[in-house]
Amino acid sequence: MHLIQRMKIWKELRRLEQRAREQPSPSTFVDLGQVYINLDLHDKAERIAEDGLALFPKAPELRQLLDCARRGLRGKQAAELRAKLTRAPNAATYRELAQLQIELGDQAALHTTCQEWGLRFPDDPGCWLVLGQARLVGFYRDLAAREGQEAVRCLQRAVAMAPGDAQARRLLGEVLYRIGAVHGAMEHLQKLQELDPQDAELQALLAHVQGLADRGDDIDGLLEDVEAHGSLAHPSLAAVPKPQGDEAMARVRDGLAHVADLAGVRKATFIRGSKALVKGSIRDGRDPFLRVVRVVAKAAHRFAKRLDIGSANKTVVDGAFGHVCICVYGEALAAVQCDEGTDLTQVMAELQEIVAGALHAAEGSGT
Amino acid sequence: MSKIHDAVVELRRAPGVRGAAVLTNDGLMAASSLDDALGADVVAGLSSYLLMTANKSLGEGGMGTCTQLTVHATHGKAVLLDLTDSFLVVLFDQFADIAGAQKQVQDAASSIRRASRLA
Repeated sequence: MHLIQRMKIWKELRRLEQRAREQPSPSTFVDLGQVYINLDLHDKAERIAEDGLALFPKAPELRQLLDCARRGLRGKQAAELRAKLTRAPNAATYRELAQLQIELGDQAALHTTCQEWGLRFPDDPGCWLVLGQARLVGFYRDLAAREGQEAVRCLQRAVAMAPGDAQARRLLGEVLYRIGAVHGAMEHLQKLQELDPQDAELQALLAHVQGLADRGDDIDGLLEDVEAHGSLAHPSLAAVPKPQGDEAMARVRDGLAHVADLAGVRKATFIRGSKALVKGSIRDGRDPFLRVVRVVAKAAHRFAKRLDIGSANKTVVDGAFGHVCICVYGEALAAVQCDEGTDLTQVMAELQEIVAGALHAAEGSGT
Repeated sequence: MSKIHDAVVELRRAPGVRGAAVLTNDGLMAASSLDDALGADVVAGLSSYLLMTANKSLGEGGMGTCTQLTVHATHGKAVLLDLTDSFLVVLFDQFADIAGAQKQVQDAASSIRRASRLA
């Protein structure tokens, strides 16, 4: 590109930027972002799409622009990682590259990466987990027995190589119960529970799987049945019909009353979205305890996410006021304020019960 | 200062501890012993943010300040302990028994408080 062409493009860019500032509309942002994409400046295109979405959050063309910009960025990152692997191969970089290729949907490149990864680092179960994940996506989309067999084979290998790897075990457990191998799935889910007994989501999943009918342990046969019938044997936890909102909220209310009766507990609340149920000595919606709970839960969530230690499920704040105990899962939160000397283990277990019970509560029920 | 550092290093040896650090209230690292995967700046910034946010909301509600904040996450745990002008951060792996390690954390906090008074 010679100098005059570059000057013309920069002039056009300035004009579009000014237009986006003075007459913001989805199309002005898209035009501007498109120029940046053509110039291979995907990071700037991403920024433009984000700015546009801040003003027009429902504009589908801006979402497409953001997607396109991010795909471009991922493509660049993948090329950089590939070059890095050529210079100095290591398992962590292979993992990073494979995840990018999954996000890009580049199956051929993913298989090449995993093959190379497995050959260079035969003791690393990561390549089997990533391959299993990619195959699972294909299986759930097409319900093709062959994809399912490959997914199960890869995940079984990953679990055999790293029995403590929760992700591989969870994926394997999930696919097994969905095709009808409920007993096989329960083995993996129970092992997962041993690894993390406080995982509320897992407890809900176990309760769901326990109630399903087992169709044997012939995995290949079950996968072929799925392909033949064009449907999975059992629904996922998310697809299970939820109990009526009133019923679910009655359970939450009972749980909250129970926890508020524990010795030392002064205030108790259950919060979902902008609404709250309260028990104990809470004056009104402006009670400082409610604000502390919301603020600390949000800050702890950000702390854990950014520190890469997952989701903050339980938080305890100690001070002269006693203890504030918070248990969160997804949008549901249960918390108490209690005196010093209260049995926090029991309080936390009760809060976990309330939150786990609320997992099924219908959206927008009378909280 | 080396006594503070020694206390942090000693605490790091406790079972399940991935890292420990002493930070000033505004997030400056005074001493640390962290797992390679934990960036010192990240730990400092996030811990300071969490404690300051918690203290601000407690203060606004007339509840005082927090003396200890414990976070249990899916892949790890963290304890932030107030040391008056600074605070101690201890990061654990997800399987660590925080209640079991509480004595070591309190011992380290006492040593750091003593060393701070002498400094």
